[in-house]
Amino acid sequence: VAAMLKCVMSGSQVKVFGKAVQALSRISDELWLDPSKKGLALRCVNSSRSAYGCVLFSPVFFQHYQWSALVKMSENELDTTLNLKCKLGMKSILPIFRCLNSLERNIEKCKIFTRSDKCKVVIQFFYRHGIKRTHNICFQESQPLQVIFDKNVCTNTLMIQPRLLADAIVLFTSSQEEVTLAVTPLNFCLKSSNEESMDLSNAVYSEMFVGSDEFDFFQIGMDTEITFCFKELKGILTFSEATHAPISIYFDFPGKPLALSIDDMLVEANFILATLADESSRASSPQSLCLSQKRKRSDLIKKKAGKNITGQALECISRKAAPRRLYPKETLTNISALENCGSPAMKRANGDVSEVSENSVSNTEEVPGSLCLRKFSCMFFGAVSSDQQEHFNHPFDSLARASDSEEDMNNGSFSIF
Amino acid sequence: MRFRAKIVDGACLNHFTRISNMIAKLAKTCTLRISPDKLNFILCDKLANGGVSMWCELEQENFFNEFQMEGVSAENNEIYLELTSENLSRALKTAQNARALKIKLTNKHFPCLTVSVEMLSMSSSSRIVTHDIPIKVIPRKLWKDLQEPVVPDPDVSIYLPVLKTMKSVVEKMKNISNHLVIEANLDGELNLKIETELVCVTTHFKDLGNPPLASESTHQDRNMEHMAEVHIDIRKLLQFLAGQQVNPTKALCNIVNNKMVHFDLLHEDVSLQYFIPALS
Repeated sequence: VAAMLKCVMSGSQVKVFGKAVQALSRISDELWLDPSKKGLALRCVNSSRSAYGCVLFSPVFFQHYQWSALVKMSENELDTTLNLKCKLGMKSILPIFRCLNSLERNIEKCKIFTRSDKCKVVIQFFYRHGIKRTHNICFQESQPLQVIFDKNVCTNTLMIQPRLLADAIVLFTSSQEEVTLAVTPLNFCLKSSNEESMDLSNAVYSEMFVGSDEFDFFQIGMDTEITFCFKELKGILTFSEATHAPISIYFDFPGKPLALSIDDMLVEANFILATLADESSRASSPQSLCLSQKRKRSDLIKKKAGKNITGQALECISRKAAPRRLYPKETLTNISALENCGSPAMKRANGDVSEVSENSVSNTEEVPGSLCLRKFSCMFFGAVSSDQQEHFNHPFDSLARASDSEEDMNNGSFSIF
Repeated sequence: MRFRAKIVDGACLNHFTRISNMIAKLAKTCTLRISPDKLNFILCDKLANGGVSMWCELEQENFFNEFQMEGVSAENNEIYLELTSENLSRALKTAQNARALKIKLTNKHFPCLTVSVEMLSMSSSSRIVTHDIPIKVIPRKLWKDLQEPVVPDPDVSIYLPVLKTMKSVVEKMKNISNHLVIEANLDGELNLKIETELVCVTTHFKDLGNPPLASESTHQDRNMEHMAEVHIDIRKLLQFLAGQQVNPTKALCNIVNNKMVHFDLLHEDVSLQYFIPALS
């Protein structure tokens, strides 16, 4: 028994699926196909790890949905379930889902099939008169990434109609790299990022103020200004046009990632974008990378460290203490510090800090000269496990090889996308 | 120096947006001259522009219901600003469903023309969109180069054919040669000619009509069919034609033999003059 996926869609379902692929293509050049009992998830992450997208199609979205994971029996009775590790190049899959309106009209059904022991994904379109179009795409074996983000603890939550986002997007030119979202309990403003306008004396600075009554839901816990990449926003808009569902935005303070979600019962899309950290946390760190910090995590670390460390200083230490190899998988080694490596990280921090700190900068070397990207916070990443329940209780089992692992277990609740 | 103006009429706003789009197609960077009665978009005939110059004029009271300006000084009650034309047209484009549009000169971190739009929205609160367009204030000593060009007496003056037709002809000709001859006579005939070693293509426009001549004395001496011609860079002509999205109310072409061609257009109440020099 191999890990496999088989699903069938109608013409209109293909249109939504295709829009999801198009939206994700704005974030990354690679896409994971990740089936589970929750449905088929399409996941991607950008090269600088500052944007993540996941579109989850529930089993009832499809005309037919079938999946299985590979169960490996071992002698010591510890069965491991291996999920499908399928990564496709966006260049291969995107051209297949072109001309979605015409596909919607002309195809009777679309079948997607793959197995972990084959090396390819087969996508077939069935037209009238017995015409069939088949695509075979080779996939790379790669463990999908997922992001841990708790929407429930976000201070600020908005729900908007896609129309509002579309109106906001036309204000900015395609050369605009970053935009800033500023909210108060009474109003909302989207504007060109201040940093950028200062540098280029020819750049137009634009802003749009929208009253809170234009929102379906408007809950602002505190006045906030966050800055993030503009390009990914356009991708999200593309997808929202396909579903007609409102877009929910969850965010906190600068530096903590922002989540944009679209949920229309059959499909759930989540786009997590890193945000620029504010002046104070940047000043305190010699490196330009900063981390998104969950309060619960810092409490945990405080306990382990056994000292009375302030939040700010704690952030400094965590940053420097980037472990060399977080994950056994080669795709994830260049992700820098996550506090979930609790005590081992702390132990290392007391030692040769400078050596470790060089490592945590390795991620920044990927994007030389791109100052703004280096300042973006990194997000929590976890490897996807096919057994969600197991993952939920011990979310960080697959990550760090902590010596005192039991104490590292998180007792908080995180939403895993 | 101060400038504030407001447009509340939808039709005026659309017209102003169209003019701004046209300017953006004709000149990447241009000068905006603000005076008590008029607004001008100016491109002067510097080498950088290839010798092309443009003078666009509109009466401010045809557009703005509020208009206040204070120039550099009492004797020089004018403001000359340099801006990237596309920045203005893009800002105006976002003002499609505006209740009101305000333009003013501001100095935030650097001098700007601030366009602020109050949008109509579904809810009770309005949406406010603001664009700060960076500008350069042009010092008084450079104003002399930015005055209305003197139009020399043309050898031939003729009404233009439908610009869209002219544009599609010129677009195809551009693929064959960069060098175009535009010639016309006082008998309502205008020709566009290109010539290479292998091929010669001419498009003839007839029955175009000529405006009445300024001076009667030369009228009898002149041969009505004699063509005045000028050799120009085809790309400059194409750029001019591409800027005319809407067919103008009036379109006149003045040719000074072997020197230049002058286009004199009227878009409702906005006048546009465009000068293309002869190829040297």
